[in-house]
Amino acid sequence: MVKQEDLALGPAAVAAPGAETSRGPRKSGSILTETGWDVSLRVGSIVALLFLWWVLSLFFPPTLVPKPWDTLAEVFLIIRTGEFFSDMGSTLWRVFVGFGFAMLVSTPLGIVMGSFRNLESFFEPPVILGLTMPGLIWALLMIMFFGLTEFSAYTAVAVTIFPMLTISIWQGTKSLDKDLIDMSTAFHASVMSKLVDVILPQLVSHLLAAIRYGLGLAWKVVVLVEMFGFSNGVGYRVMHGFDIFSMKAVLAWAITFLIVMIFLEFGVIGVAERSVTRWRPRVEAWRR
Amino acid sequence: MAYVRIDEAVKYFSREDGSPLLVLDSVSFDTKEYGITALLGPSGCGKSTLLNIITGLERLDHGTVEVVSGGEDGERAHPQLGYVFQDPRLLNWKRVEDNLKFALKGMEVPTDQWDERLDKYLALVGLEDFRKQYPLYLSGGMRQRVGLARGLVIEPQVLLMDEPYSKLDQLTARQLREDTLEICSRLKQTALLVTHDVEESAYMGDRIVIFSARPARIAAVYENPLRSSERDTDDMRFIEFKKQVLETILNLVKEET
Repeated sequence: MVKQEDLALGPAAVAAPGAETSRGPRKSGSILTETGWDVSLRVGSIVALLFLWWVLSLFFPPTLVPKPWDTLAEVFLIIRTGEFFSDMGSTLWRVFVGFGFAMLVSTPLGIVMGSFRNLESFFEPPVILGLTMPGLIWALLMIMFFGLTEFSAYTAVAVTIFPMLTISIWQGTKSLDKDLIDMSTAFHASVMSKLVDVILPQLVSHLLAAIRYGLGLAWKVVVLVEMFGFSNGVGYRVMHGFDIFSMKAVLAWAITFLIVMIFLEFGVIGVAERSVTRWRPRVEAWRR
Repeated sequence: MAYVRIDEAVKYFSREDGSPLLVLDSVSFDTKEYGITALLGPSGCGKSTLLNIITGLERLDHGTVEVVSGGEDGERAHPQLGYVFQDPRLLNWKRVEDNLKFALKGMEVPTDQWDERLDKYLALVGLEDFRKQYPLYLSGGMRQRVGLARGLVIEPQVLLMDEPYSKLDQLTARQLREDTLEICSRLKQTALLVTHDVEESAYMGDRIVIFSARPARIAAVYENPLRSSERDTDDMRFIEFKKQVLETILNLVKEET
């Protein structure tokens, strides 16, 4: 039975959100076989897609649907000639710089918006408006402003993801558990300890979610910017494949790009996430 | 050791419209030294507010709250208070032992004492095998035990407990009450327990201070006729005492309405 005590009287009475999620120890039993089954389903799904592709390639000319292995050969070609690394490198660099810009502005702004009601009201409209602006329009605007320079790629990425990042951090700051801050005050924790031991760990999962969504958006914009007339980058290569009407080239670049993104998503960010959320019981190893 | 002396404590809160709301109306009492004082009162009467004032999270408008320490403890800079919360308020991203270390660090306990203290207090609450575990992997009762160990590990002059059992199921709460009582009497711990459960106050409290509904005044103070080792919820003497406390509370409610 939950008894509500001292309604709205003191800070101690503010109910802790989510404090009641109690879970027993992890079920041990058949986790391995379940994981094995899960993995084989996922692999099976990819095999089925490849099979479907092959079936389609039987009915269409190779200019429209090339054979899977021809496309694979093209992938190896762009890797061997080194095009892959230089173009993918430029694209990644543009994403990371734009991302860095956006993070530098969003993190403090989000924390400030989550902490002060006046500033929240003031900054909310532009942030929400920014969220609804399509990335394509930002890409065009930035190229019109700054021409075909690296800087327009950086800013296009930055302004596109900035609202989303800000919202995540803003909401994360608002959902900080005030009871825990009172607890740390009761045990005389220093300001530094409050920040490092109490506040930042609560923001980490919001930051990671923000990074994940932000990267997803950033890829889409940077490719658009590159298509509008850059002379390198994945967007340029895809556009080039389009211009010479080489379906093989377009697909090869699209697939390698996908693989890199998946690696970043599940490899880099996934590992980071798992290492910082080890304390949270997971229901199933693979499901997130 | 020490005890808390509360003298003519007055506290107002401001309502939504800014007008003052009297919460504590010149409350005065002393807690028992080397024992548990139970603060019993209806929900919302200001018991938790009083705890927050003792800890320094809130200020009194009038009167004094002081931790009176006798003997060698007298020169401490600020009174050492341990706090056990209703929700255990653990840092879920820290292992059990690191939650205790967080308190040790805050209270500036020298690091060379940490290991010895962790061993001692985790063993007292029966969690020595779980020191490397993360809190969310523990049951609600075990988490509350971590909270108790965190309150005790700093070896406070006074341990403050704010309804630590109210969110647990009956059986877990009962077991934990028994253990807390035993631990406190073994450590000769001075403690202040806030509760709105009559049986809990009669079982845990060596002294029972009964608050009226808001604004809180002291309605009665009882000394428990039974020593902590003699208290048994089925014993006639215990039941008699519980009845006495219950009647006081019921009369209070009648006067209100």
